[in-house]
Amino acid sequence: MIATALRAHDAAPETLPLWQPADRPAKEPPPRARQPESAATGGLAVTVRDLSKAFDGHTVIENLDLHIPAGQFVAVVGRSGCGKSTLLRLILGLEQPSSGRVVLESEAVRAPPKRIMFQEPRLLPWATVADNVAVGLGETGTKAERRARALSALSEVGLADKAGVWPATLSGGQRQRVALARALVSRPGLLALDEPLGALDALTRIGMQAMIEEIWRSQGFTALLVTHDVSEAVAMADRILVVEDGRVALDVKVEVPRPRRRGDPILAALEGRILDHLLQNHAPA
Amino acid sequence: MARPRILDGAAQRLTPWLLPLGIVLGWQAASSAGLVSTRFMPAPLDVIAAGWQLGRTGELWANLWISTLRALAGFAVGGGIGFALGLANGLSRVSDRLTDTTVQMVRNVPHLSLIPLVILWFGIGEEAKLFLVALGVFFPVYANTLHGIRSVDPQLVEMGRVYGLSPWSLFTRVVLPGALPSIFVGLRYALGIMWLTLIVAETISASSGLGYMAMQAREFMLVDVVVLAIVIYAALGKLADVLTRWLERTCLAWNPAYRTV
Repeated sequence: MIATALRAHDAAPETLPLWQPADRPAKEPPPRARQPESAATGGLAVTVRDLSKAFDGHTVIENLDLHIPAGQFVAVVGRSGCGKSTLLRLILGLEQPSSGRVVLESEAVRAPPKRIMFQEPRLLPWATVADNVAVGLGETGTKAERRARALSALSEVGLADKAGVWPATLSGGQRQRVALARALVSRPGLLALDEPLGALDALTRIGMQAMIEEIWRSQGFTALLVTHDVSEAVAMADRILVVEDGRVALDVKVEVPRPRRRGDPILAALEGRILDHLLQNHAPA
Repeated sequence: MARPRILDGAAQRLTPWLLPLGIVLGWQAASSAGLVSTRFMPAPLDVIAAGWQLGRTGELWANLWISTLRALAGFAVGGGIGFALGLANGLSRVSDRLTDTTVQMVRNVPHLSLIPLVILWFGIGEEAKLFLVALGVFFPVYANTLHGIRSVDPQLVEMGRVYGLSPWSLFTRVVLPGALPSIFVGLRYALGIMWLTLIVAETISASSGLGYMAMQAREFMLVDVVVLAIVIYAALGKLADVLTRWLERTCLAWNPAYRTV
């Protein structure tokens, strides 16, 4: 699975930069976008057309157009209040747009669900960890089936031994892992992550990033990560959108092969470029 | 040298009873020494003897049983209506707007002051007592249920909606468990008011029950029976408290605040 992906990269000519902005036309066909090998779950493709959203007369999103192919890992970065969380909620259907449309398409016969991971774990304190994960399954299947799926999702995040405890006894990182298991248990086609790692300490955050990436690679859903941490975006995503004043100001593909090394100079250069763009409006003249 | 663990547990359980026991012993000592006239304040031994006597004739148990039935019936009616209305007003804006103001106005009328009116409407039969107890129990249950529903974490409700929980699932898995600690507070208050109301109602208009027994004893100057009745009320109140705590420990085991009991 990983071997075929690596071969695809070997086929690309050496002279082409490993990342290139999507707006500049390429002289040669760009390297084939990474396709998830297991399309069994079928990621959801997201198309946003002319989307606008205003709260009390204040426009947060303005005439935004976007297409995310199925299975892509997209990160949305921007300053606080730039509209990135609103965009996420509009795509998921948690908010209604003032105008424009959001279309989610899937190749599977029955469209897989969309799930979100919030910044807070939002676990039910009165349910055990396993029951919390099972919330993601609704009423499908028998109780035994739901429990089995919950336990398997918990082992994916490494918390199978905590299945019967109350959430109050877990640490912050463990609670977010349970929340991740809950989001994944129903095999979603689109997983939205609304700054889920912001409240964790740096080392736990790095571990969680690696875990999310690994699960994304094996399940192949479309991932939409909203974050204010540019280095996190650069480490995890295929494509980075910079949202500013309700519009997409920058749309960059990250074509560094996975697994990515921290401290990779190309990633660092990209991060620097994005940060420069984000900070330029407020830099001293 | 470490004290044996079993002694620590027993000591913890007995400590709350040291004070009442001390008072009783002091009271007995004072009575035996003649410091307190037994006409005004019977000695504990006299009270126990009266209790034994009434227990032997079966009068005590019959009255106790009747009082308990009345209390539970009133609790079921008042608590049931209070719970249902609390849920309705917490979940539905329309229901809230229609009924809450009326409830708040009635709440501020002390229900015991309605006794003359109640006797006028219902006579001195069982209905009067049932009505009074139900009325007393209704308000704490209603107010705390309403508060419980309103203060459920909205982030959890949003999570439930986003994860596709049906409205019924949302209610049973998110809203109701979240409201439960507050509902238990209402339960505690209601149980206290239940006994209080019943005792008063029974002294006013009854031909059976604990309050009636105490009233008869007053008529015939059986002071030891009067004190016995008071001791029984205290014991019943403690029993209700113990039951509620046990319920809380079972249903709210997930909450760290309730685990250290």
